[in-house]
Amino acid sequence: MPPFTNIPLSPAELSYLHTSLSQTPPLRPDGRSPTDFRPLVAETDILPSANGSARICFADGTEAVVGVKAEVERSLGLGVEAGDGDVDMDEEDGGGVGLGERGKKSRGRGEWLEVAIEIPGVRDDDALPVFLSAMLSEALLADGGLKERLWINARFHWRLYVDVFLLSSPLSYPLPLLSLTTHLALLSTRLPALISEKDEDPLFNDDWEASLYLYPRASEPAAQTLKPPFTLLVMSVGENIIFDPSREELSVAESVLAISASPSTSISNSNNNNTLNMVALRTIDPPSRLTGSAVPNSITAGGPSLTSAEILALREKDQGQSVWRPPRGGIPRALVSKMIKMVVEKGGVGEEVLAALAGVGT
Amino acid sequence: MDIDDLPSGHTNASSTVITPGETVTDDPQWMRGHGTFAPTDSTLICSTLAGTLQKTNKLLSIVPLRARYTPEIGDLVIGRIVEVQSRKWKVDVAAPLLAHLPLSSINLPGGIQRKRTSVDELNIRSYFSEGELIVAEVQSLFQSGAASLHTRSLKYGKLRNGYFLAVSGVGGGSGVVRARRQIFSIQTARGGEVDVILGVNGYIWLAKHVDEKREEVGLNRLEETASSAMYSSQNDEIGVETRQEIARIAGCVRALIEGAVKVEEETVRRAYDAAVELDDFEGGLEIPAQQRGRNIVQVVLNSG
Repeated sequence: MPPFTNIPLSPAELSYLHTSLSQTPPLRPDGRSPTDFRPLVAETDILPSANGSARICFADGTEAVVGVKAEVERSLGLGVEAGDGDVDMDEEDGGGVGLGERGKKSRGRGEWLEVAIEIPGVRDDDALPVFLSAMLSEALLADGGLKERLWINARFHWRLYVDVFLLSSPLSYPLPLLSLTTHLALLSTRLPALISEKDEDPLFNDDWEASLYLYPRASEPAAQTLKPPFTLLVMSVGENIIFDPSREELSVAESVLAISASPSTSISNSNNNNTLNMVALRTIDPPSRLTGSAVPNSITAGGPSLTSAEILALREKDQGQSVWRPPRGGIPRALVSKMIKMVVEKGGVGEEVLAALAGVGT
Repeated sequence: MDIDDLPSGHTNASSTVITPGETVTDDPQWMRGHGTFAPTDSTLICSTLAGTLQKTNKLLSIVPLRARYTPEIGDLVIGRIVEVQSRKWKVDVAAPLLAHLPLSSINLPGGIQRKRTSVDELNIRSYFSEGELIVAEVQSLFQSGAASLHTRSLKYGKLRNGYFLAVSGVGGGSGVVRARRQIFSIQTARGGEVDVILGVNGYIWLAKHVDEKREEVGLNRLEETASSAMYSSQNDEIGVETRQEIARIAGCVRALIEGAVKVEEETVRRAYDAAVELDDFEGGLEIPAQQRGRNIVQVVLNSG
C-alpha cells in the first residue's frame, strides 16, 4: 500500500536521505549503485489490434501500457510550405555533444505524430500529462527520422497515435517509465507494406506477415538500423549524479534533468558503430523545492528569546548543514555536461539501457 | 471446497481464494462471520471480499488478501501528520480514515505536567507540522472507526535520525504482526545499535539508537524529561556505517515482504543475521535485493 503520496517527507527524513545521497559513493536507500536502474518487467506486442504496443512494470508497482495506432490520412496543403513542425531546441549542447544532423529538408511534419498521456486521477488537460506528452513527442520528432517515415507519397501520409496509459498512480515522476514503454512500443510497431507506386492512392499488402517495422530491425536488409529515442531522468545531489531516482530520492534532489538520447542516424556509421546523440534536454522542477525547511535546535532549544531578524540570520548561516533546507539555485554548467556525458558516452548508461531494451522479446 | 476438512483456528486459512459474491456454503450449520453476507430467506453464506476462508468452530469468515489497517485500542502505530487544525492534528496511519491526535494527548515541554494553554494552541506547529512522522499509541476509537492517538510516553513522539519505509498492512501473507515487542534495537555488525519500530499499521522506522541523557526520575515525574528536544527535527551525526546498516535492515524487511513473510522482531533479526552472514562469507556489504533477498528469506523460513 503506498504511503500518503501528497504529503512531503518530514525534515528529519529529508535531511537523512540528503546526507546519505551526498556521501561518496552515494548510499541509496535501496542499495543500488548510482547508475543502476530498478528492476522492471517488460513485454511487447500485447495489444492484438494495435500496430505496436508494450507494457513495462517497475518493481515499485508503477506500470504503463502504450499502444501505437497508425492511420492513413490525406495530406493537406499540398506543396505549400507550412511552418516547420520541428521543435526547435535551443543550443544546449553541453560538453560539446552534438545534437544530431539537422537542416536537411524533411518531407514529414511534426503534427503527424500525436502523443496522448492518461494518468489516473489527473485530468488530461492538467499540467503534468501535457508537459509529459510535449516532452515525449519533442524527443521523438527531434531527429527527423520518424517524421520522414510517416510520409507515404505526396498526397498521403501516416498519422501515428501514441496512446500512453499509466495504470498506477504516479508514485515517482513517471517520465522514464512512459518514455521506455513508448520506445518499446515504437520498436514493435509495424506498418502494412505499400504496394502502390508514386502518387497513386495508397494500396497496402493485406498480409500482416509482410508488414514493415516502423523502425527497421538489424536483421532486415534496410541500410541502417534505427531506434526510437528514449528519455532518462537524472538527478543530482551535491556532486553525485543519480540515475532512475525513486520517489524518495527525487524528494531531496537538488536538480533533475530529463535527457533524451537517440542512436545516431548518420549512414556513414557502420551498424556496430552507432553512437548516441542527445536530442532533447529539459530541466524539471524538483519536488524538494516544495518542502519546508526545518528549525535547527540552536533556535528552539530553550535559548534566549531571539528576535525574528536574529532567527533569520541564524537559519541562513546554517546553510542546511544541521537541518534540512530546500535546495536553492540552479544546476552548475559543469554538472549538466557531466550528466549528459554519462548518458551518451560510449559504454555509458544510455547504451546499457538500449541494450537492455533491445533484449526484450516480442 | 469441503469446509469440514478445513482445520479450525486462526492460522489455518484455506489456500483457495474466494471472490466477492461467491457462495461459501448453503449448509445451515455454519454461522457467518467477517467478510460474509447472507441473502435474506436463504441459508446461503456468500463472500463480500476477495480472500481465503477461515473457520473458527462453526464460524466462517473471509480473511482479505489485502486490506487497510483497522485501528485497535493499544496499537503502536507510526503516522505522518497530514493536517494541522486548531487543537488537533490529523494523522495518516494507513487506515481508511485519518487518525486524530488532540493537543491534549501529547506531552507538552517545559517541566511539570501542565494544562495546555492558548499559547500552546498558537504554537501547535512547533510540536508537529505537516509531513512529520510520529510514533504513537491508539488511545480510543471513534464511532466511525477513526483512531484517536496519544504520545503521552517517552517512547512516543517525533521520529528522527532514520529512515522510513511502508509495507502493506494486514492481510495476505505479509505485513507487520501485532506482537509483544514492537520497538527493539538490533546490535549491528559495524554501525552500532539501530532502533527498529514496527508500527502495526505497516509503517516501519529504522533509526540510529541514541542514548537519552536522562537522570533517574520517579514515575510521577516522568513528564519532566519531556524537554523541547523531544520535538526537534534536527538529526544527530550519523556515520556512514550506521547508514549502511540501516539500509541493510531496510533491505531485509523489503525482502521479507516480497517473500510474503510476516514482519516481526524474530523474522527481522533472523533476516538481518542471515544478511550479515552472507556478507561476511563473501566479504563486503550488499543491500539485500532480488535474488539475494529471496535467499535470505529462504534462510529465515528454514531456521524458523
